[in-house]
Amino acid sequence: MTASAAIRVEALVKDYGRFRALHGIDLEVSRGEVFGFLGPNGAGKTTTIRCILDLLRPTAGRIEVLGLDPRRDGVPLRRRVAYVPGELRLPERQTGHQLVAAVARLRGGLDPTRQTELARRLDLDLGRRLRDLSSGNRRKVALLLAFMSNAELLILDEPTNGLDPLIQHEFLRLVREVREAGTTTFLSSHVLSEVQRAADRVAVLRAGTIVALGTVEELRGRARQRVDVWFNGSPPAAELGRVPGLEHQLVEGRRFAAVLAGPIRPLLEVLARHDVVSMLVEEPDLEDAFLDIYGSVS
Amino acid sequence: MSLAARSVELVVGPFRSSWRAGLGWTIAFVLLVVSTVAFWPAFKGSTALNEAFKTLPQGMIQAFGLQDFASPAGYLRGGLYELIVPLMFAAAGVMFANSATAAEEDAGRLELFLAQPVTRQSVLLARSLAVLGWLVLLAIVVLAAQLASDAAFDLEIAYARVLSTIILCALLGCLYAGLAIAVAGAFAQPGLVLSVGLGLALVGYLVAALFPLSDVLTSWRQVSPWDWALGGDPLVTAAEPWRYAALAVPALVLALLGIVAFGRRDIRSA
Repeated sequence: MTASAAIRVEALVKDYGRFRALHGIDLEVSRGEVFGFLGPNGAGKTTTIRCILDLLRPTAGRIEVLGLDPRRDGVPLRRRVAYVPGELRLPERQTGHQLVAAVARLRGGLDPTRQTELARRLDLDLGRRLRDLSSGNRRKVALLLAFMSNAELLILDEPTNGLDPLIQHEFLRLVREVREAGTTTFLSSHVLSEVQRAADRVAVLRAGTIVALGTVEELRGRARQRVDVWFNGSPPAAELGRVPGLEHQLVEGRRFAAVLAGPIRPLLEVLARHDVVSMLVEEPDLEDAFLDIYGSVS
Repeated sequence: MSLAARSVELVVGPFRSSWRAGLGWTIAFVLLVVSTVAFWPAFKGSTALNEAFKTLPQGMIQAFGLQDFASPAGYLRGGLYELIVPLMFAAAGVMFANSATAAEEDAGRLELFLAQPVTRQSVLLARSLAVLGWLVLLAIVVLAAQLASDAAFDLEIAYARVLSTIILCALLGCLYAGLAIAVAGAFAQPGLVLSVGLGLALVGYLVAALFPLSDVLTSWRQVSPWDWALGGDPLVTAAEPWRYAALAVPALVLALLGIVAFGRRDIRSA
């Protein structure tokens, strides 16, 4: 554990009545990183986030955000944190401008240049009433509020829900920009490609438990990869059969196909001793890693 | 930006967003007061009506405040201030309080505000003040409508008696608003807030109106806030100071209980 953690959660438990939503979560988000928080709906992502923001009171465990206790130091802490709720409900009768002004009065200050720039980049008309906006446009309002805040920590719960692909792309650019400026982003999502593109590290949550935690690269290492190898002659089936993690093996003439779960090195060592003509390894994506992890725990 | 700007935003925001309901109550109060007083010339000094009312059971006369209906004070009591005006203040208090607190939370609209650098307690305190603001405004509206129509329809009654009666009615509204805030602070359930608030307002009226009809229950009418507010017939005799305090102090205590409870529980999400 380092002193500079942006978020530190230890043994976090949250019960709703007799239902246990979080079963002792441990995680640490370093300052300045983009941390992906992945999991299907109902896994406990929002519950974790709402505990971090002191909207929910943990049943057990300890939370520290930017070195502060969210409950005791809520006001100074929330001045340094911006949040986009997953279930976004905005005051319907206000316009975007009115809401931005109201939040600016609560947070203290507003940079009109930044506001205009963000509205342009997110393709957002702040003059319209919030109830007349689509859910995607409402989310843009919330994103604008978050990116306008100059917060040290952004907590974004499913931030791209309802956004079209162009704006999603712009969103990822914004995340990278604030990362350059030293901002920490805690990004909860069930959209894997988004996390894969934006995050440095990822935690995968399932049924209130963290089932995987690591860098995107490490998660990829755990992913299954399809492997196709063509030999100059018959594939060394017996030798390949002993390679750990090589599943669903298939020999078809000179072609050998399998699914590799785990590191590729043992396979390469076997292949190096044989006359390989060509080889194709599909790049794993996080989705595979994700499903793999779910597959192994369910 | 200063603490003052933040505090103003916390109060003014919810106050402003209730303007539709506020306008509705304003129109209702003005129409009620003006249309009631407009019939005063027809009842003024009518001995026949007094005689007719005397044939009613004594309890009914008491319950609806119909004693001495042909006098200005008796007319206003029976027509406005025995039941309908205090009931409207109580309902307005409960409904303003509910829509500023439990209904907003239940709809998930508090989430974004509670994630700002403000305490939960200050958010609920500010919303309580916004409710108080509306009740004060409605009291001023009722007072203005009453004084204007008194002048227009020649109803002669002491200004001080009218003022005091309206303040007591508005304080009754504050008391039930405080109750609603207490419930909303503890539970984010608008249905519960409305049923407890409006239900107890009605029970309060029934206790004050009906218990005096029974020899056994009559002394128990004093448990009702309606009796504290209007039991001294404030249109006729100056209300004792304790009556104001008996409404204002519990209103304050209930709201504070709600504010404390709100700081201790989970916030409901949409």
